[in-house]
Amino acid sequence: MKAVELDGIAKVFLPALSGAPFHALTEINLSIAEGEIVGLLGPNGSGKTTLLKIIMGLVAPTAGACRVFGRPSHCAETRSSVGYLPEAPEFYPFLTGIELLRFFAGLAGLAGRIREDRIKEAIALVGLGTASARRVGTYSRGMKQRIGLAQALVTSPRLVILDEPTANLDPEGASDIGEIIRGIRARGGTVLLSSHQLDQIEDLCTRVVLLNRGRLVASGTIDELLQSHRENTLVVESLPEADESELRVWLANRGARLRSAPFARRGGLERVYLAAAHRCYSDESECP
Amino acid sequence: MSAIVSSAFRLAAIAGNTFRESVRQRLFLILALMAAMLGIAAWWFRNCGIVAPQTKFLLDTGFGALTFFGAVVAIVAVAESFSGEIERRTVLAVLAKPVWRGEFVLGKLAGILGLLLAFCAVGTGFLVGWLWWSQTQPTDPLARGFAGAGGASSFAVMACGLVQWLRCSVLAALTLLVATYARTSLLAVMAGFAALAICSLRALVWDAFRFAGPEWARGVAGLVGLVVPDFELYDVADQVAAGGALSTGYLVGITLYSAIYVSLFVALAVYCFRHREL
Repeated sequence: MKAVELDGIAKVFLPALSGAPFHALTEINLSIAEGEIVGLLGPNGSGKTTLLKIIMGLVAPTAGACRVFGRPSHCAETRSSVGYLPEAPEFYPFLTGIELLRFFAGLAGLAGRIREDRIKEAIALVGLGTASARRVGTYSRGMKQRIGLAQALVTSPRLVILDEPTANLDPEGASDIGEIIRGIRARGGTVLLSSHQLDQIEDLCTRVVLLNRGRLVASGTIDELLQSHRENTLVVESLPEADESELRVWLANRGARLRSAPFARRGGLERVYLAAAHRCYSDESECP
Repeated sequence: MSAIVSSAFRLAAIAGNTFRESVRQRLFLILALMAAMLGIAAWWFRNCGIVAPQTKFLLDTGFGALTFFGAVVAIVAVAESFSGEIERRTVLAVLAKPVWRGEFVLGKLAGILGLLLAFCAVGTGFLVGWLWWSQTQPTDPLARGFAGAGGASSFAVMACGLVQWLRCSVLAALTLLVATYARTSLLAVMAGFAALAICSLRALVWDAFRFAGPEWARGVAGLVGLVVPDFELYDVADQVAAGGALSTGYLVGITLYSAIYVSLFVALAVYCFRHREL
């Protein structure tokens, strides 16, 4: 069974009073199989969070259909098998970490011994330890991210949707999140992950989906994407500054471009990402 | 477990969480302290004798504090726990669990009504305590003022406390309706206070246009009279402070009146929230 199926999803936000409608997503078709770890990439404002909210049933699509484990995403029952970490979440500051997890586990229908065991597991998994007895209002940004992840995982969901899970985390915290995601995959879970940490996406994900200005511009495994964006790179050393413009003209006449050194030095997925993003930023007519 | 039972569990979880989170907030504590300070000030000025007899003065001040701070608690608690939760994106994590939006709205309202009940019960408890003290200290001049002829009965004071809770509940439901589509908690607070003013002045507008105004104004007044609850109906503190009792018929009537408005506003709030983009 497919974990997520998006069929022609579009989302248009209408202005409150005046102005043009905003096309947040256009004709998104995507299918995620169970057990996959899919990375959702795209510049700010590309529609990643809106897409995740549509999958969670928090936002209704203007057109198209969204199914999670074969059921419409807007049904509350569908969400019993999904865990969701929103972007930069803020939780109840006057509850302790344990009280917060007890509340979220209760909403998912867990009670008694099972609930307490799951809470202990989730706290251990995200590494909150004794801090779980403190009020959430006293937590650092990174700890809030961890408790957010714990509430997403406390029900042992089959599908985990993470919106920027490593934002505000130190390198050690980001590495821990990576380990947790690997753990979910090891027990057969499915993860849909939105992030700007390209190295982490490259490291963790079995497939990458690239969004730009509401359109799905690329999708595939890391290797497939790298293949499709293969370029020949020549590193020119000790070029006199006066000759650079001449070289640019020469290259341009042959359909090539001279990129700045920091851009050219980047590799792997980052180059694919920047190429896709750059294409839209440099030529408005290509994108809606 | 049947769907209704699990829905009731989720609703209770949201209500309990709203109540606990609200009680722990400093703002609620500050409002309770301010109400207590007003009570102490009333006690201090009880012998001035320039406003009213002691019993009436203390009960008027006590019910005044209960009504005013109760309204503030109702509006602020709704804005903080509903609009604030949307602003902070906590609502996304809650609705990502198998929770219907209607359950979220009802749970929030139930938690806030619990908070208001606690607030009104504590305030009324103080007033009933004063009455009880006055009956056990018949030689004290203040106690004589309380227990003198025409003094208010404990039952009437408790009934008046209940009426103030009903008024706060209607206001909370109306603020909740506004909060379901208000973009910020500040807007919800402002709209809540505007609603309080409109409901308090409703009888005045009704009287001004119902019989004397032009045809269209009479129509508008009639419509406003149907949609907007009349908060003057809850102004029974004067009657109780003067030693009067509240009839059972009035109590049943005002409870039904409040229940109808709360149900109407909550039904509209659920409808609005179901269609809101988060």
